[in-house]
Amino acid sequence: MSNAYDIIARYDPEFPRKRAGNLLTDTTEFMNIQYGDVIELDGKHFLVLRDEKERSFGVEDPKYWVKRCRQLDTGERKILKLVFYEKFPVSLGSMQIECFRSPRKEARILDLVRGDGRFMQGYSRDDAVGNNVRVLDVVKGDLLSLAIDKLEADHRTYFFELLPDILEKFAEACRAIDFLHRHGENHGDIRRDHLWLEHGTGNYVWIDFDYTYEFQESPSGLDIFGLGNLLLYLAGKKFCTTFNIPRPEFDGLSNVHLEPADFSMLFKNRLSNLRKVYPYVPETLNNVLMHFSTASEVFYPSVGEMLEELLPCIDEIRRGRINA
Amino acid sequence: MDPKKILIAVDASENSARAVNYVADLLGGSGGFMITVLYIERPPNRDLFPDEASWVEAGQTQELRIRTFLKQARTTLTAGGLAPEAVAIDYVPHCQSPVNQGAAECSIGTSIARDILQYQQRGDFGTLVIGRRGVSRAEEFLFGSVTTKVTHLAKDCTVWVVQ
Repeated sequence: MSNAYDIIARYDPEFPRKRAGNLLTDTTEFMNIQYGDVIELDGKHFLVLRDEKERSFGVEDPKYWVKRCRQLDTGERKILKLVFYEKFPVSLGSMQIECFRSPRKEARILDLVRGDGRFMQGYSRDDAVGNNVRVLDVVKGDLLSLAIDKLEADHRTYFFELLPDILEKFAEACRAIDFLHRHGENHGDIRRDHLWLEHGTGNYVWIDFDYTYEFQESPSGLDIFGLGNLLLYLAGKKFCTTFNIPRPEFDGLSNVHLEPADFSMLFKNRLSNLRKVYPYVPETLNNVLMHFSTASEVFYPSVGEMLEELLPCIDEIRRGRINA
Repeated sequence: MDPKKILIAVDASENSARAVNYVADLLGGSGGFMITVLYIERPPNRDLFPDEASWVEAGQTQELRIRTFLKQARTTLTAGGLAPEAVAIDYVPHCQSPVNQGAAECSIGTSIARDILQYQQRGDFGTLVIGRRGVSRAEEFLFGSVTTKVTHLAKDCTVWVVQ
């Protein structure tokens, strides 16, 4: 079969002929690949449905190099990530770093984590001209941060009733990142958009491993900082900021004196010292959070050391529930 | 360790140049010192390049810059009054270097700081000189600092940090 329609019609006879696009074996010009096109890769055919979109601040930003597809022979939804070498500055609070997209790195990590439910799954194949295409399973679920945000509970209830189980799972997600580090890899872009809560299994699943940087003396530092930020979000059920703390609906203490040392090392309006607004946060957990604050004198050199301090906090919160 | 055996660890930055200049100014004209200017290779990250050829090219460009820096460092030290036979330069390649494959001695690249200290111990250097970028604490936490790690881990030697 030499055209897209013939291939699509074999699996989906109802598909309108006029919507069928091109049959592609070369994905270099990803901007021109659109709905109705069929990508042929390693003998498999993927019908392109749409470009993937990244959503932030209510704005949808199309990712033209990431295609939502249907694998025609199985009917499975897949995500195809095409080669896009991009170098761009990433702002981390007041700091800017040069970031790169590396298909090679993501393909290598997909091989490393095959069968590990803590990571998105997939494989990579070269197209006809050698572009590394990553074929990814769709993670069926929600962004963890959105799932947390949707929980209908005030902070105290959330903290004592729900957070211990959430932290148990978060600890497993941290171990997953530690696994990467112990294999000489890193995630590269740990943030709320890249950790999903999978429906059915309840697993926390990391996605998107293609970000990378120039080598540094501490190659895992950025990942550890990302985990610290996520932990801050989970412990607060949101980020407590100079914007939301003074608002009437804020569910903690707002008439407290906050100092620069109480805030995040990089995000100067994000409160790390949660104990000041939620006094029932145990000192031990607060101490972990304060490692990522402006006041910190020491930083966790590894995920393992962070977990050593975080894990006992879970039981402490559970014991606190009994006394709360 | 011999305190008159001095190791200057460099990375071709301005801070490294300051460390070399400092040693030249301080010790120029004095006898009895043996100085080695050391570079441990940190090759460009292969993941940042679309193909082998562009990675090798970036590695070659970097190597040329570093070797030029090392030669300039030797010139600076001898021009400062140190005897030419008292000044050595050394370039230790990375074990997966795009341009120096198969080197007898190479760095595995997990920590430049540890590589520097191994070299210092093996060579009986009693004094280690290193420049400092003056990074913020946040940068140091997130990306690490060779200088900070060297000062934390150094044993049996004096470390001069030049800022």
